[in-house]
Amino acid sequence: MKNIKTNILGFGLVLLLVSSCSNDLNTEPKTQITLDQLLAKDPNAIEGLVSKMYGSFSLSGAGGPNTTDTPGDDAGESPFLRGIVNLQDFTADDMKNRWGDNGLDQLTTTSDWDANNKFFRYLYNRVYYTVPQCNNLISVMDNADVPNKDQYKSEIRFLRSLAYYYLIDCFGKGVLVTEADLGSSIPKEQSSRIELFNFVEKELIEIQDKLPQTNGYGRANKAVARMLLAKLYLNAEVYTGTARYADALIYAKKVIDEGGYSLAPNFQSLFSADNNQTVAKEEIIYALIADPLVSQSWGNTTYIIDGSLSSDTMTLIDYGATAGWGGHRATKAWYGLFGNSPAALDASSDDRAHLFWSNYLNPDATKRHNFEMTDYKVWKDGYPSTKFRNSNFVGTTIPTQFAGTDFPLFRLADVYLMYAECVLRGGGGTNALALEYVNDVRKRSHAGSISSGELTLDFILDERARELNFEGHRRTDLIRFGKFAGGSYLWPWKGGVKDGTAIPDSYNLFPIPLKAMQANPNLTQNPGY
Amino acid sequence: MKTIYKKLLFLILFLPFSALAQIALGGTVLDKISKQPLPGVNVNIKGTAISTSTDIEGKFKLLKIKKGDIILFSFVGYKKTTFVYDSQKQININLEEETNQLQEIVVQVGYGTSKKKDATGSVTLLTAKDFNKGAIISVDQLLTGKVAGVRITNDGGQPDSSPNIRIRGGASLSASNNPLIIIDGVPIGDLNPAGVSNPFTLINPNDVESFSVLKDASATAIYGVRASNGVIIITTKKGTTGAPQYNYSSNVSIGKVGKKLDVMKASDFIKFIEQYHSTKTNLLGIDDPSTSAVDDLSTPQIEGRLISDTDWQSQIFRTAISTDHNFSARANLNKKVPFRASVGYAKNQGLLKTSDYERVSYSLKITPKLLNDNLKIDVNAKGTYTNKNSIDEGGALYGAMSMDPTKPVYGPSYANKFSGYYQETILNGGRDFTNGATNPLAILEQRSRPERAIRFLGNVEFDYKLPFLKDLRAVVNLGLDASQSLIRESFANNSIQTYTFNQGTDPASNYLFNPGLNYLEHQTSTNKTMDAYMAYSKSLKGFVTKFDATGGYSYQDFRTDGFSEQFQNNLSTGIREPKIDPENPYNRYFLPLNLQAYFARTNFDLLGKYLFTATFRADASSLFQKDKRWGYFPAVGAAWKLKEETFLKNINSIQDLKLRIGWGKTGQANIAGTVGYFPSRPLFGIGNVNGQYLPGLNTYTALPFDPNITWEKTSTINLGLDFELFQGSILTGSFDVYKRKTTDLLAVVPSPPGQGTGGSEFIKNVGSIDGNGFELNLNVKAIRTDDFYLGLGGNIAYNYNSVTDLKGVSVVQDTGSGLNQTGVYLAFNPVGGQPYSAWVFQQIYDTKGQPIVGAYTDLNGDGKIDNGDRYYKALRPNWTFGFNSTFNYKNWDFTANFRGQIGGQVYNLKRLTNGNIQSGAPLNGTSLNNVLNFYDGSASPLFTNFNGNATFSDYLLEDASFLRCDNVSLGYKFAKFINKSTLRLSGSVNNLFIVTKYSGQDPENFNGIDRSFYPRPRTYTFGVNLDF
Repeated sequence: MKNIKTNILGFGLVLLLVSSCSNDLNTEPKTQITLDQLLAKDPNAIEGLVSKMYGSFSLSGAGGPNTTDTPGDDAGESPFLRGIVNLQDFTADDMKNRWGDNGLDQLTTTSDWDANNKFFRYLYNRVYYTVPQCNNLISVMDNADVPNKDQYKSEIRFLRSLAYYYLIDCFGKGVLVTEADLGSSIPKEQSSRIELFNFVEKELIEIQDKLPQTNGYGRANKAVARMLLAKLYLNAEVYTGTARYADALIYAKKVIDEGGYSLAPNFQSLFSADNNQTVAKEEIIYALIADPLVSQSWGNTTYIIDGSLSSDTMTLIDYGATAGWGGHRATKAWYGLFGNSPAALDASSDDRAHLFWSNYLNPDATKRHNFEMTDYKVWKDGYPSTKFRNSNFVGTTIPTQFAGTDFPLFRLADVYLMYAECVLRGGGGTNALALEYVNDVRKRSHAGSISSGELTLDFILDERARELNFEGHRRTDLIRFGKFAGGSYLWPWKGGVKDGTAIPDSYNLFPIPLKAMQANPNLTQNPGY
Repeated sequence: MKTIYKKLLFLILFLPFSALAQIALGGTVLDKISKQPLPGVNVNIKGTAISTSTDIEGKFKLLKIKKGDIILFSFVGYKKTTFVYDSQKQININLEEETNQLQEIVVQVGYGTSKKKDATGSVTLLTAKDFNKGAIISVDQLLTGKVAGVRITNDGGQPDSSPNIRIRGGASLSASNNPLIIIDGVPIGDLNPAGVSNPFTLINPNDVESFSVLKDASATAIYGVRASNGVIIITTKKGTTGAPQYNYSSNVSIGKVGKKLDVMKASDFIKFIEQYHSTKTNLLGIDDPSTSAVDDLSTPQIEGRLISDTDWQSQIFRTAISTDHNFSARANLNKKVPFRASVGYAKNQGLLKTSDYERVSYSLKITPKLLNDNLKIDVNAKGTYTNKNSIDEGGALYGAMSMDPTKPVYGPSYANKFSGYYQETILNGGRDFTNGATNPLAILEQRSRPERAIRFLGNVEFDYKLPFLKDLRAVVNLGLDASQSLIRESFANNSIQTYTFNQGTDPASNYLFNPGLNYLEHQTSTNKTMDAYMAYSKSLKGFVTKFDATGGYSYQDFRTDGFSEQFQNNLSTGIREPKIDPENPYNRYFLPLNLQAYFARTNFDLLGKYLFTATFRADASSLFQKDKRWGYFPAVGAAWKLKEETFLKNINSIQDLKLRIGWGKTGQANIAGTVGYFPSRPLFGIGNVNGQYLPGLNTYTALPFDPNITWEKTSTINLGLDFELFQGSILTGSFDVYKRKTTDLLAVVPSPPGQGTGGSEFIKNVGSIDGNGFELNLNVKAIRTDDFYLGLGGNIAYNYNSVTDLKGVSVVQDTGSGLNQTGVYLAFNPVGGQPYSAWVFQQIYDTKGQPIVGAYTDLNGDGKIDNGDRYYKALRPNWTFGFNSTFNYKNWDFTANFRGQIGGQVYNLKRLTNGNIQSGAPLNGTSLNNVLNFYDGSASPLFTNFNGNATFSDYLLEDASFLRCDNVSLGYKFAKFINKSTLRLSGSVNNLFIVTKYSGQDPENFNGIDRSFYPRPRTYTFGVNLDF
């Protein structure tokens, strides 16, 4: 009997143990936190979440330069800005890259594009990382008691619109997801370019009023939203088939008149490491921030600067860099706009002509660069662009591994040229003001004024090249001017041929990445791929 | 009453005399035929409680023996033998194998044991006589090639190399495919302690008594979760019930590199540079300070350069000398408590310089029986201290392959900054940057990274036979697996890898080094296990001949907690300083996992020949949300002992025959390695100090999660046959055929764009994988005479898995298959194809068999070569095999073990990186790289580079079939070495040779991609083994 009692007791003990153990199945993290813990811990938590979304256009991940938000994609190669340079500049006439990493050759030579090219996927994935994260954050704010909620929500809606803008521009279609779609994993139907356009237009019109007149550096304000709206309208004919130059002009003018921006006195200051501190920041409407210590990325301006340097022919520390990756060089389609020889570039009064590394006077002939890009894989064929640099415009420079130069995604000179283009395209405004704006941009770089007779659309395209190349606009510009696809305009290595050859119209859009099509069967491929 | 006292008194008086009269008897028990010693033989003086068992060398010692005592020797699988004691001091006993050896073998089946003859599932037992021999440091090496359908591929020749074990090819995609490992009843966590790559180093191979490998679901289902890829149960040796026994064994081994990479020596390399990169001969060698001459590129001579002839591979490899010492003692404490203790010390040198490994191991096992033998207690404690210098093997191996052979190992002293090691530099802007490959010898010798870990594994099992119901037992098993690790990486003075700059302008002084601590990590892990179950067992007469039932609860809790100190260089001074993240100052990480389960099993035998098993298990994991947490895993099995049927009873050529059939379902949730420990919960991560954005704010990120994920389930149906044929069981073996289906597959798949918060892909329960295959194990006793024995054994297995569904997705990339370029992957898991298949173009060859560069078959015939022309080719083999022979003649013994695979592919990545013309002088740099030898066919000079489609040419895939001679061993035993001890001397060679068509170093490659590969050494071992 006693034994039975002991046994029952023992069995009871075991049961007790079991029931107390079942709680252990709810394990608690210690280095990650729940939303409630986050909000309780940091009064600025929402701003921290907003900051992360801003950073999505520049950084690869929250854990530093070797981590990625988009698993499966290389942390170094996949950041947004790197994608913009690869897809908007290498594919166009201004910049070529020689590495030939799997898929990069196809971009540089605008040939053999296919849905499997990882560089298309990287940008696409970054867009579709940013959009649902923004949706999630909007929903978080809707459900939490957050001071200043409206402004943060508007900023997030701007960032979502910015991501969609690049989807519209590069891929031409995709699913349209908002905070209403959170939690649904049934693949959505694809939205057309017009539907996406209408959504972004509606969003930007709504938030321009909710955004503050001025905001912290690197953040969206009224002018930033209007600038994006102006860009959307400027390219509306390409995106929707309906020209909206008058609308573009209205919003460009609002940015100019109400934004409070002014041209920096010196062109070079805009692309130097201290462009967030010097007077240059008065011109920058929207910057993608970089910092050598706290905002490190292999895909922000570090990529532009280090990629344009090589110790073979250049002195790295002159540009504040500690490494030269020897990759990107401009073509004569860009520097040829300033002169037909290195000597002519040197002799030009235009400050912007001096931002190419020809080294043609070097006594050592092996250090000189060639004006012609006979072989895009040879470093010395073509001139590296020294427009972007990690050296300070004012004062001394300490060379760093990661760049601290902020990337001016939107700046006033662009708006001036957009205004002039709208005028020339019949969007209203006045020729006189257009000429004044163009000459303001030129005079700043000592390029000399032009006459009203010289102000033509072709001139605008060239001036945009001189002023804005390597800033992620060129492919869009060429398409808008009808000069990207087809054979009406050729540039070095277009279509994979040294002097260029015609490429099919289908190249006006990138292929939808294979991986996306595999994940959502509703997606259809762009024609020609 | 009085007489009793008298008798007692007499007894007491007599006791000392009888004690004096006690004589000890020593002896050895051998297999009658093979003359191999038999360990674990029970030796008992008939009619008394005096007993002992033989040790590893078959030796035993009996005290308290009197003339005329009958000694009984019994051992599973052998005929009982008696011996009448007649004052001998030493005897040799030969046991004869029972003709029907399956009869008594006991296998572990999870929460209990079963006789092999009664097992309904596919269970393979391996004991000491089956183990691999030679230089063996971790227990997985004992098993390699021995069990059909178990493929063990280590990562290379590192002393602590991680084994990749696949039983039947693996059932999962993104979840782990590793089998569950159970050591003395304690399931081992999936996460290795920091500093330990191989979980099997936790046990000293000399302490292992047996392995039970559970392959099919009717056998593994009792373990439920974590069991879908099979279970390996390791049991360690027990104490004795007789006289103390001691064993000392020791070996010394010498390891040598087998095949080095065929890169060019200096003379070939110069020829190559002159032929293909004639404008770069001025980069060969180093500047000759005694002359101002500069190489004139227009002349064939190389002027003004000092040319060395360095074999960089020889510089980093060494003749590795390793030693291993083990001592064990078995005794019966207070004549009641069987006890075994062992200590071991192993010091291993890896083939690469400074790749050192040291292990101290100990074990203790106490198995007392209390309360009239009703309470059996099994106490195990084992532990290791390991100290490994973790080298940067990738860097060193890559450097040794790629570094220009015309460069010297040590640099000229006049300009050398790097403690003598040669390193090419290039002056740019007042800074003397390093250039080209880093000196691989400096990589090894200028950094030290001791990774020290202390690990303890212990358990106490109470097995109590309830006094009021003898057939019912209550078992409680408490286990603890705990470890502490410390990793400390530091650099020597003037190490190339800490070379950096200050802000000066004079290159002669504008640099600095950061010697000392560079990284520190501390980790503790505490894994607790508890099993509590009741087991009822009853033998009956009549229709039901046996019935048993087991039911219980299992609790496992894994916790790993660690922190690290990280450093970065100050932006302005270049001096290394701690990198402090205010949100997580010590970079803490915390990885908790909790698993709980209820399980039940019943066996019943009908008429002694129809056996049935049913199990059921319910499992819960902390990885899933509450409502998705529980998984239910049933299994049934049946066996028919055909030999018991009247129609076979009298057929002598069939000694035994058993047919098994089983079906079961197991679970898998081991995804923490891929998606972390909280994949189903919405959490926020805190951005680190380098990942901030807007000034003055901490960034926070919503982490990816999926609340809907749940168990992956694998069901297997298995049909098996165990047989023993011919008189004397000449031929024994088993044959299994199975079909397996994994559903709710946990796989990382692309998310519909915009609809997953986790970026472009996350884990999901999608689709299914089907597998099928068969396994055959055969053992032949070819020759058996009194002096002579020849035994042969072999196994072969075939496995074919295919992805049958990915829920709408047609293929997922396998992120384990990255090539040298970032973001480029070779392998995919395509629906309709085998998992881990390379997606490649079909190379076209000319009539001479040479590849035509850039020409691929237009498989879809659309006139262009694009992704539509790529096809899938499985990288992992479908066929694996192993065979061995044992040969004994008198006191000599010889064994040889072989294994291999048929099929499978290996991607020769070295051809891609170092097997093309361009790789000799990279476009990007001002330095030269060594290349595979184009002049002897190691690579083809046809390829200028492997850009674009060429990366995916099936030219780079090679047949990975191989046959490896794993080990041969020869031993001689002195049966009467000093007094009663025995001594065995042995010599063995591991990895003696490999037969393969693969042109690279080693086709045995788990990932099928031959990147920087730590060569497996050929090891010559001399060992002594002393029993006393």
